[in-house]
Amino acid sequence: MERKRFRLPDGPHRQMRSRGSLSKPRFFIILGLAGWLWLQAAAALDPPVLTSIEDRPNDAGTGLILHWSPSTEDNPTLQIIFERRHADGVLDTLEAIPGVDPRAGGEIPSSTIDERGLEPGQMVSYRMGWFEGEDTLWSAWSDPIAPQIQWVNGERASVAVALVLFAGILIWFVLSARRGRTFFIRKIPGLEAVEEAVGRATEMGRPILYSPGLDPMDEVATVASINILGQVARKAAEYDTRLMVPNRDPIVMAVAQEVVRDAYTEAGRPDAYNADDIYYTTYSQFGYAAAVCGTMMREKPATNFFIGRFYAESLILAETGNATGAIQIAGTDADAQLPFFITSCDYTLIGEELYAGSVYLSREPLLLGALKGQDAAKALIIIIIIIFSLLQIFGIDLRRFLG
Amino acid sequence: MKRTGPVIFGFLIGMVMLLQYFSPHPTLLSTYNLILDWKQVVFGMTLILGIVSLVRFHSTKIRRKQDGWLYSIVTLAGLVAMSGSSLVWGTERGFYPWAFDNIQAPMQATMFALLAFYVASASYRAFRVRSLHAGLLLLAGVIVMLGRVPLGELIGITIKGQHYALPQLSTWILDVPNLAAKRGILIGVGLGMVATALKILLGIERSYLGKGA
Amino acid sequence: MRELDTSAPIAKRTIWTRLMAVDRRIIFLAVALSVALPLIYPIGLPVKTANESRAYFKEMDQLNAGDVIMFSFDYEPDTMAELDPMSLTTWRHAFRKDLKIIALTMYAGGTGVAERIMRQVAGEYGKVYGEDYIFLGYNPDWSGTMLRLGESIKATYPTDQYGTPSESFPILQHVDRYGHIKLLVSVSASALSEYWAIWAGGKYGQRMISGNTAVQAVLIYPYFQTDQISGFLGGLKGAAEYESLVGIKGEGTRGMDAQSTAHALMVLFILLGNVGYVMNRRRRTQ
Repeated sequence: MERKRFRLPDGPHRQMRSRGSLSKPRFFIILGLAGWLWLQAAAALDPPVLTSIEDRPNDAGTGLILHWSPSTEDNPTLQIIFERRHADGVLDTLEAIPGVDPRAGGEIPSSTIDERGLEPGQMVSYRMGWFEGEDTLWSAWSDPIAPQIQWVNGERASVAVALVLFAGILIWFVLSARRGRTFFIRKIPGLEAVEEAVGRATEMGRPILYSPGLDPMDEVATVASINILGQVARKAAEYDTRLMVPNRDPIVMAVAQEVVRDAYTEAGRPDAYNADDIYYTTYSQFGYAAAVCGTMMREKPATNFFIGRFYAESLILAETGNATGAIQIAGTDADAQLPFFITSCDYTLIGEELYAGSVYLSREPLLLGALKGQDAAKALIIIIIIIFSLLQIFGIDLRRFLG
Repeated sequence: MKRTGPVIFGFLIGMVMLLQYFSPHPTLLSTYNLILDWKQVVFGMTLILGIVSLVRFHSTKIRRKQDGWLYSIVTLAGLVAMSGSSLVWGTERGFYPWAFDNIQAPMQATMFALLAFYVASASYRAFRVRSLHAGLLLLAGVIVMLGRVPLGELIGITIKGQHYALPQLSTWILDVPNLAAKRGILIGVGLGMVATALKILLGIERSYLGKGA
Repeated sequence: MRELDTSAPIAKRTIWTRLMAVDRRIIFLAVALSVALPLIYPIGLPVKTANESRAYFKEMDQLNAGDVIMFSFDYEPDTMAELDPMSLTTWRHAFRKDLKIIALTMYAGGTGVAERIMRQVAGEYGKVYGEDYIFLGYNPDWSGTMLRLGESIKATYPTDQYGTPSESFPILQHVDRYGHIKLLVSVSASALSEYWAIWAGGKYGQRMISGNTAVQAVLIYPYFQTDQISGFLGGLKGAAEYESLVGIKGEGTRGMDAQSTAHALMVLFILLGNVGYVMNRRRRTQ
């Protein structure tokens, strides 16, 4: 096959990439050798072409995407280099792009340019070059272009659609509840036993211990636990039984104090509320376990609640409570800890039963509506999973149609 | 206003954080960074709440000579000694690293080590073949327990020249049935998180304000 | 459900009822012996590597000299017996490959753990603080910290653990967010590895691996299968496997015999309890 041959144009397109001081004979030998190599390479080389430059989508105006035509030269040692020229004439040389085969063409991800400080609206132009050894063959300079700030990240459209769909379902159910629609919620044995557990502590004249877990207030399990704590506190106040709440997180402690105080007030026993019974222990995971176990051994609570997010300390807590003979109700969405709680506690709320807990106890219509909305969304996900699985089994890949 | 103000504030902050996920605009990004910086500052300050509560709880115990008041002295002494020495000499030298390595570390490690004993006694008590389901659970438990240690490598069967060691079965149990169940729970938990976030944004969920349900 | 109160008096004690109700103190003593004896008299059981450990090793091993990784000590001294071997081997592996490490912790108690490990391994390999590694220390509020690191490390940690401005360290000259970090490693006793995967991985696309206690390791499988966590070490066994892949025998390998005997003992107790249970039930039905 005859290869189309080009001579390199003279002038600014051709540059020496490095200069050094050399002795005269050595200089001529190297020059001769380089010249021979250069003729071999350059004779077959097309100058590079920057076909287009476009604004990088979905970013904060800091990036551009450069497209170029692949080289026709079958030369694996060939590399790519870019130069960027700012509106004020300042030139930046971008290093050779590693791992990009010039023969493949394609895109330079603009992230390689972001790091060199592209500003939104700043005009820049580019040229690119093939280089091998010490010589570079440049393209012409591109037209100036400025990266633009985007308002929407289109890559996250699928998340937005799912969120809007889910929020729509949730709001629809909440509005239904507000209009007076009643929803069924199945019996949850662990929550049915709350009254019995509080009553037992009253009969025995011993306190109740309530651990809201280890996670901070921004965790859904802690939010659910605090809701259940409100209901337990109300019953404890009604029965006039002491309630102790050791905490690992100071914010959770502050919220728990508020919730328990409200519950005591609503039960008509504000005088019985003791802020010192809802106390902080330590942020250390096993330090917290030691503090709670110590309380269990000294105070011998008749009833223990472990409701919230727990980790490896769950079994230490539950086994110690088991050894002191307390009736124990646990609830967590930490699936790794469920076997431990199921083994050592009398009742365990599993996963979403915990979220349903506060609604179950309070029967608050709006929260019940939200819970039902959650169930409906889950049903939708299950249906989608089944449909996609069946289609996949029959060899239809829907992802192609969804992009 | 005592309740409405925080709900509106929570809604605004939540909306900024939510919208920022879908928008790369620098204005939203800088607001997002500002909120994150404040979040860390506020969280740091809440530790003071914890310290105040701890000191109050234990000093009351000491003053009233309640059961275990001597332990309360140890707790408060530990708090003063560790924080005081780290403030004076830093965490690299002086009393802090010594106490950390020789007191705190062994004590905490002891608590974690209790887990081995409790796992043994709890599994002994709970794993009983009461029904077919319990039997399957027991079988899976034993396979995983042995399959996760080198001893399991020595247990297996050879069928038609192919050796099947216990760890392969253990890995299958973890990778297939265990994973399927976990995914189910994860989806539920994920939906629960989104639902709670939406409930807080919409003001349906107000427990974080200290008002139950 | 309460199964059997071992302290409750049993009407008629037979060998089968005794098997069902072994005193917990006897179990505790047997467990202590089953762990202690193999540590004193090692058996030397062979360690085979699992997929997840090989993936963890591969993620580390494919990095090039000079690459920067972030290492989060997400545990306190309580779990050091299980997690220290992972941290030590990871740091040794990294320094052997001349990687640079940005260390931090999400627990106040993690600072002591981190300092001990960094001091030890940096000493072994003659690495220089600030050039080869840096310790940013503890920042309260892990979720805020994880998110903020995606925008700017130096804004999240204006100084290192010892109060020196972060900007002054050579290691942070060209590194200021997740995009500049080749790999994130979280060694954790809680769910922090999952949170890293959600915040750093999900939002910022940061590649990560994790080391976890055996209790927590089962939670990582779903993330490993979807490559949200590209490799992980599960418990002491994971640590031993990684040690064998790196070729540095340490505490993980030493603990394997003890773990094997302890697990075997547990299985033995479970079987004895079941023999007692079945025989007792049969006797009663007769």
